[in-house]
Amino acid sequence: MSEPIEPQTPAEPEVPTGPYVYDYAASPQRQVVLPKTVPLPSLKTYRAEVVAQQAADEAKWQKMQADYETAKAKAEAEGKEAPKPPVKPVPRKDDNDMKTPWPQEAKAPDLLRLQELLGDKVEEVFEQAGELTCQVRKEALHEALRLCRDDASLKYEMLADQTGTHYPAAKDFAFSLVYQLTSISRRKRLRVRILVPEGFEPESACSLYPGANWMERETYDMLGIRFKDHPDMTRILCPEDWEGYPLRKEYPTVGWGQRDIDLREDRGGVLMRIAMEKAGQMGINLKQPQAD
Amino acid sequence: MGVNQPTALEHVLITTKVEKVINWARASSVWPMTFGLACCAIEMMAAGASRFDFDRFGAGIFRATPRQSDLMIVAGTVTYKMAPIIKRLYDQMPEPKWVIAMGSCATAGGPFDSYHTIQGVDKVVPVDIYIPGCPPRPESLIYGFLKLQDKIMTSSLADRYKEIFEEVG
Repeated sequence: MSEPIEPQTPAEPEVPTGPYVYDYAASPQRQVVLPKTVPLPSLKTYRAEVVAQQAADEAKWQKMQADYETAKAKAEAEGKEAPKPPVKPVPRKDDNDMKTPWPQEAKAPDLLRLQELLGDKVEEVFEQAGELTCQVRKEALHEALRLCRDDASLKYEMLADQTGTHYPAAKDFAFSLVYQLTSISRRKRLRVRILVPEGFEPESACSLYPGANWMERETYDMLGIRFKDHPDMTRILCPEDWEGYPLRKEYPTVGWGQRDIDLREDRGGVLMRIAMEKAGQMGINLKQPQAD
Repeated sequence: MGVNQPTALEHVLITTKVEKVINWARASSVWPMTFGLACCAIEMMAAGASRFDFDRFGAGIFRATPRQSDLMIVAGTVTYKMAPIIKRLYDQMPEPKWVIAMGSCATAGGPFDSYHTIQGVDKVVPVDIYIPGCPPRPESLIYGFLKLQDKIMTSSLADRYKEIFEEVG
């Protein structure tokens, strides 16, 4: 005789206490995942990677052989059939259509000329996919740019772009600053690169290329790198009272939409101070008379 | 029979409320401001051009200054840096004034859940009509505008007075 089955009552859902407010700060989209590798294009790093890969392959092959020897001895002792000998894995060849442009040895005359002129101030020169890159020491940036502009065999008249990248996983530097140069008369392009640590102030290129003014302001605005001898080192894209540098990797890009901030408020009184300064320059007294 | 027949006087006269006449005048000549922020502005221009012809509803004259306009169509993404300027433009518009938030960016931030974007222009100025779409077609804008005309026709001067002077203080 079976017991009567009791009808199961569904468990009551938990009622949240208090008003339901979505916590944007705790949302998973807002969490920042910092990169663990440094994907800086570099010939030295690429060569080191190749050597490490070869060593790993060799170690794997040695282990496969050792395993085979022990398995063979065990099979012989038990009188069983010997296992198959291992086959050395053939390294996969690149498909010609999908060939990845690895960094190559520098052969372009411009790079060789720069190396000859600058000597040991050049850290690295390489070509990748037909693009020339010259990495110089961070103190020799101004000298390198001056040579690129003034040398008769280089003649890079135009600074096409100046920007930077944040590498939080790198040990001895934090940012790479890149100057993309263009020679209009020779139809050539060159990339001059420096690696700078946090807090380092590189020299401004404004005296050589006047177009660098706004680009360096943008780099300061987005990455927080200040430039020495810059005529106007202020923010250019973000508001004047902005906090943080948005192009750094630790800056959250998603889920940071302005929801809670009341725009009618002046955060920190910065906008009021700027308005006072501007009014002062125009000769207007905006200050309220204070009662004693 | 005979009771509801219009008299001879009513053939030439219409009796109505002053409020209704004022509302009718306001709803029939809403002048928008020339104010586009992003790609929604292209659709707004298309709505104003000859194919869709915003002028049919009395709203074809896009004024180049907030001081001559009644309607602000916020067409596009509102960035943090632009928000105080939008507030200033809204403050410069004379009463009565209305705001249409056009597109998903202006209504709720759209796809830009990012550090530089206001999640909806209603954080800055009061909005009357929200139009969804990315971007909304000119038909959507016209439909939203017709809804705004309905809102204007049903609005009351006493309510507006109360809203401005009594509740806000």
